[in-house]
Amino acid sequence: MSDEEHHFESKGDAGASKTYPQQAGAIRKNGYIVIKNRPCKVVEVSTSKTGKHGHAKCHFVGIDIFNGKKLEDIVPSSHNCDVPHVTRTDYQLIDISEDGFVSLLTENGNTKDDLRLPTDDNLLSQIKDGFGDGKDLVVTVMSSMGEEQICALKDIGPK
Amino acid sequence: MQGYGDAGGELAQLQSTMHAIEAACSSIQMHINPAAAEAAILALSQSPQPYKACQFILENSQVANARFQAAGAIRDAAIREWSFLSAEDRRNLVNFCICFALQHANSPEGYVQAKVSSVAAQLIKRGWLDFSTGEKEPFFYQINQAILGTHGLDVQFIGISILESLVSEFSPSTSSAMGLPREFHEQCRRSLELDYLKVFYCWARGAALSVTSKILDSDLAAPEVKVCTAAMRLMLQILTWEFQYNRKGTKSINHFSAGVRHDNALTNRTDCILVQPGLAWHDVLISSGDTVWLSNLYAALRQKFSPQSSWIDSPIAVSARKLLVQFCSVTGTIFPSDSGQSQEQYLVRLLSGIILWVEPSDAISKEIESGKSGSEMLDGCRALLAMATVTTPAAFDRLLKSIRPYGTLTLLSTLMGEVIKVLISQNSEEETWSWEARDILLDTWTALLMHSLQPLHITGGGISLPPEGAVAAANLFALIVDSELKAASASAYNDDSDSDYIHASISAMDERLSSYALIARAAIDVTVPLLTRLFTERVSRLHQGRGIVDPTETLEELYSLLLITGHVLADEGEGETPLVPDAIQRNFGDFLEADKHPVVLLSGSIIKFAEHSLDPDLRASFFSPRLMEAVIWFLSRWSPTYLMSLEETHDRNDDSLLSRGHQLPQNSRKTVANYFSEYSYGKFVLGTIVRVSIITFTSYPGENYLQGMTCYQLLHALVRQKNICVHLVALESWRELANAFAHEKMLFMLNASHQRSLAQTLVLSASGLGNSEAANQYVKDLMGHMTKYLVELSSRNDIRSISQQPDIILSITCSLERLRGAARASEPRMQKSIYEMGLSVLNAILVLLEVYKHESSVVYVLLKFVVAWVDAQITYLEAKETAAVVDFCMRLLQLYSSHNIGKISLSLSNSLLSDAKTEKYKDLRALLQLLSALCLKDLVDLSSDPVESEGTNISQVVFFGLHIVTPLISLELLKYPKLCHDYFSLLSHMLEVYPEMVGQLNNDAFSHVVETLSFGLHHQDSEVVNMCLKALRALASYHCKETAAGKVGLGSRASDPRNPSGGTENRIFSRFLQSLLQLLLFGDYSPDLVGAAADALFPMILCEQSLYQKLGNELIERQANPEFRLRLTNAFQALTSLNQLTCTLDRMNYQRFRKNLSNFLIEVRGFLRTK
Repeated sequence: MSDEEHHFESKGDAGASKTYPQQAGAIRKNGYIVIKNRPCKVVEVSTSKTGKHGHAKCHFVGIDIFNGKKLEDIVPSSHNCDVPHVTRTDYQLIDISEDGFVSLLTENGNTKDDLRLPTDDNLLSQIKDGFGDGKDLVVTVMSSMGEEQICALKDIGPK
Repeated sequence: MQGYGDAGGELAQLQSTMHAIEAACSSIQMHINPAAAEAAILALSQSPQPYKACQFILENSQVANARFQAAGAIRDAAIREWSFLSAEDRRNLVNFCICFALQHANSPEGYVQAKVSSVAAQLIKRGWLDFSTGEKEPFFYQINQAILGTHGLDVQFIGISILESLVSEFSPSTSSAMGLPREFHEQCRRSLELDYLKVFYCWARGAALSVTSKILDSDLAAPEVKVCTAAMRLMLQILTWEFQYNRKGTKSINHFSAGVRHDNALTNRTDCILVQPGLAWHDVLISSGDTVWLSNLYAALRQKFSPQSSWIDSPIAVSARKLLVQFCSVTGTIFPSDSGQSQEQYLVRLLSGIILWVEPSDAISKEIESGKSGSEMLDGCRALLAMATVTTPAAFDRLLKSIRPYGTLTLLSTLMGEVIKVLISQNSEEETWSWEARDILLDTWTALLMHSLQPLHITGGGISLPPEGAVAAANLFALIVDSELKAASASAYNDDSDSDYIHASISAMDERLSSYALIARAAIDVTVPLLTRLFTERVSRLHQGRGIVDPTETLEELYSLLLITGHVLADEGEGETPLVPDAIQRNFGDFLEADKHPVVLLSGSIIKFAEHSLDPDLRASFFSPRLMEAVIWFLSRWSPTYLMSLEETHDRNDDSLLSRGHQLPQNSRKTVANYFSEYSYGKFVLGTIVRVSIITFTSYPGENYLQGMTCYQLLHALVRQKNICVHLVALESWRELANAFAHEKMLFMLNASHQRSLAQTLVLSASGLGNSEAANQYVKDLMGHMTKYLVELSSRNDIRSISQQPDIILSITCSLERLRGAARASEPRMQKSIYEMGLSVLNAILVLLEVYKHESSVVYVLLKFVVAWVDAQITYLEAKETAAVVDFCMRLLQLYSSHNIGKISLSLSNSLLSDAKTEKYKDLRALLQLLSALCLKDLVDLSSDPVESEGTNISQVVFFGLHIVTPLISLELLKYPKLCHDYFSLLSHMLEVYPEMVGQLNNDAFSHVVETLSFGLHHQDSEVVNMCLKALRALASYHCKETAAGKVGLGSRASDPRNPSGGTENRIFSRFLQSLLQLLLFGDYSPDLVGAAADALFPMILCEQSLYQKLGNELIERQANPEFRLRLTNAFQALTSLNQLTCTLDRMNYQRFRKNLSNFLIEVRGFLRTK
């Protein structure tokens, strides 16, 4: 979360604390998985066998939680997969600055000013409209594998 | 209508119209400005009285399309203007169409003629009730003359096609819309069926007969062939008519839903529709010898033309065969009641011709394989299916005996054997004729063998196949197994891309396997030893080739054998305990020594094989996941029928004392059951099954499907039986499993939902323990570890930071799933420990709900656990415990709501957004289920003191809960059927049981209830509508009774005293009275709803009498037709006055009103609704 300039961490240290190993067979739909070094939400799991009398393998379809792209992977179901550590934190939205950053109030009273607004127009307008209407907004910031993004808004009443 | 052209001006105008239409038609064809062209054609059919112009075009235009459009315009205009046309005009129009079609019969543009014929048919139908019999006579005279063939073959052909159109117009499923009441269509259909259908049939037959000799003297291109084919098609069409008026009482029409034809289950499976025209048709169909004539005709044609390969699929051959097959399906009261003799003779006559299509089967299949069309052979199979459907097995077998030295069953068996041989040799993926033939023939066997099962319930004895038939079945089964084994070994190396096939194979093959099982059971004394032999052969082949030969082919064969054997030995229980199949009970009477009993031998060899999987080396060499799936499947299919069967231990007959330890078997069933009873080998087998189950958990990591089968099918089936539980809990292996579950990490690797199921199974087995203390202690030991983990984790200071770690999420999810499984297994004996289990984690749950508010998958598991636990516990709880639980539930609801209300998910991915919506739906559904579970407390309360003693009011609590949940439910979310169902059932339950609460709702909440009911009333799911009607009934009758007693009832919600006439939208009953009437009179709904609708309508009418009068009058005034107006007035009158209906809301009156409403709707919907 520290290095705001980098959207991707270098591949060398992407393992260890950011992801955890988990048996492929135990990963369910709606869980998370790392595919091609991207954190994904699993939207589909199917199993098949390697040859009729072989062992099961899992076929995962995941959606990148940040950019919404679809990724697929096949893993023998007794092997381990990487599962990303995904955290979500709520902040109160204080301000939206001209240069595309938001200013957020953290729980301990500090501000967090390093988060960019989404570039997608639709998402952007949903945030801006809510803020513009003078509502008190709480934003949920999702972060995983060194990347972070606003993933939800909640209206907690007029300002 | 006639004599146009006396003025030059008129002729010119007709010609210009014709040119305009011709131009329009050609421009449509060439795609030049099609919109304008269509408008021109539409203008013609919409102009008043366009008949003259249309007739002119028909007679003079050289453009066929223009003639076609002109015919269509006549139809549209005439249907629209029918009631204004004079009787003469109507007759003339019909006449014109018939004459035109017949006069231009030789026109090369057949489609114009067909269109004109169909217009003629529609106009005849439109005027059917207006024309007197005398008026109809000339039309039919002309058609009959044409069909007699006096005016040539073309005319004859057109005559037949007019009748074809006519029959199809009169059949409700194929009729065209005319904007007329359903009653009208029904009257036409009835009249045609009773007075004309048979006549038409005779005409068609006459036409076919008249050209027969010519056809035999010429070739397939002769024009007579076309006539003959058309005639046979018409005969077939008439025989597929849905005969309804053949029985004594007439059938009333279905007033409530559109005239869609519902085929019953029997015809659904096969495409064999029974033909039951009734006694009146005896002379035409049976005694006339039609069948002989047609058989002979087909045989003669066949002989003459068979050198031409195309002949088999020529229209005349196809129609003739279809008609012959249809003849085979004739049954019912058309035959005299002589115990089937005349039907048998009739079928023998048919069979003697049809047999040539399928015999000699080897030669025929060879011909087909070398390029001949298979359709004749398939039709032969269909004929056999039809005969099997209308006869008993014995009669079916006798049919052939009068012409051959063997019976029909032998023929069937040989034929199918041949088909299966071809199937094996082909081994291709495409569906060929042999696939189709196999399916038809399997259906034939099923039809026969199901017949032979039916009398069982009545006589208790059951009839089996004749001995020759049993031999035929045995031979066939041997062939089938052989072919399945060959197919299995051939496909063993198919690394198929469609992996779903493997997992679905059992269910996909199930239907076929059940048919095989029926055949096997018809000769069970031969087939069981055969299966034993084949199975042991394969097993010893495995052992011999171990380490030398690749076992894959043998594994696949064993897989196949296990599936077949499972189907033969046992039936699917579908939740109930299946009995030993009747055939096995009856046929092994001689085997009194258990260890030589064929079924024991077969079962034993498979169980012994399963035991091999416990040996690590053997497991590694042979027991692939796929083979294990088959083993587990077999065990779960077999054990409910044979293992420690209750029938044995608590025999309802005489020897319940003897069965204790003493083996005094009286028949075969007991021999088998005794062998596997709890006093004999049963315990040993049970132990083996448990150990094999553990192996699937520990030695097949990640094999979800296999483990799922063990959890859901095998273990669940075991703990369903109390007597098995008693032995389970005493087994060392079961204790090992429980211990591993409670303490070892290994079983946490299973899929979370499998862990839930396993927890449920393990807890359920506690019911086998001797007393309540032991059972509760068992549950505590089993679950204590999980509750402790959750409590400790939730009280950690760093819970927020560690909670998001994937490993923590996984172990929390699994623990909660286990608790949920345990909660679902609540039984009185273990209730206490399960209550304490839940109680100890309540705080932890609220903490976790807060911590995981963004992690929807954890939230869902949390909610589902609470639902399962409350649902299972609430009825047992004492007042104080209830208060605590209710308080917890409200805190949970508020917490959930505060996290989610007003929350918007943002994502670039539509699929993630829709997932978020689905998750929300599932959560809400769980919350509704929680509220429903709370409602239970008011219905069933097993505690010692009433809940009110602690100040808990369940209805208030639930309304409050609904108030929290409702804002989260959007109309969008109600599109999920299950959520919708749950929501409406909860709402209607609340309104029914606590109508007084509605008066106390605030405006928002009230209007939400009203909108929801109104939405539900128009829902397509009749269950939802029914629930809304119940709610309305409850509200209206509550209000009625209260106001009658001088109280306010629903007060201003129901009527506005300041402004009684205005603003109906604010008055609940006036609004629903209107929409319910609208629905009842004009909507499409299931007839089952009428009762509930009556119950809701009656109190609403009493609440809003003046509005009801007003609505009724409006409806009557809107009727233009004076006759209908009178009928409607009378019907309204009768609705509220018949059957001594009075204004009090009691049971009698509700019943009377139900009757009145039903009569009312039958009376008026016939003309109010149109088609």
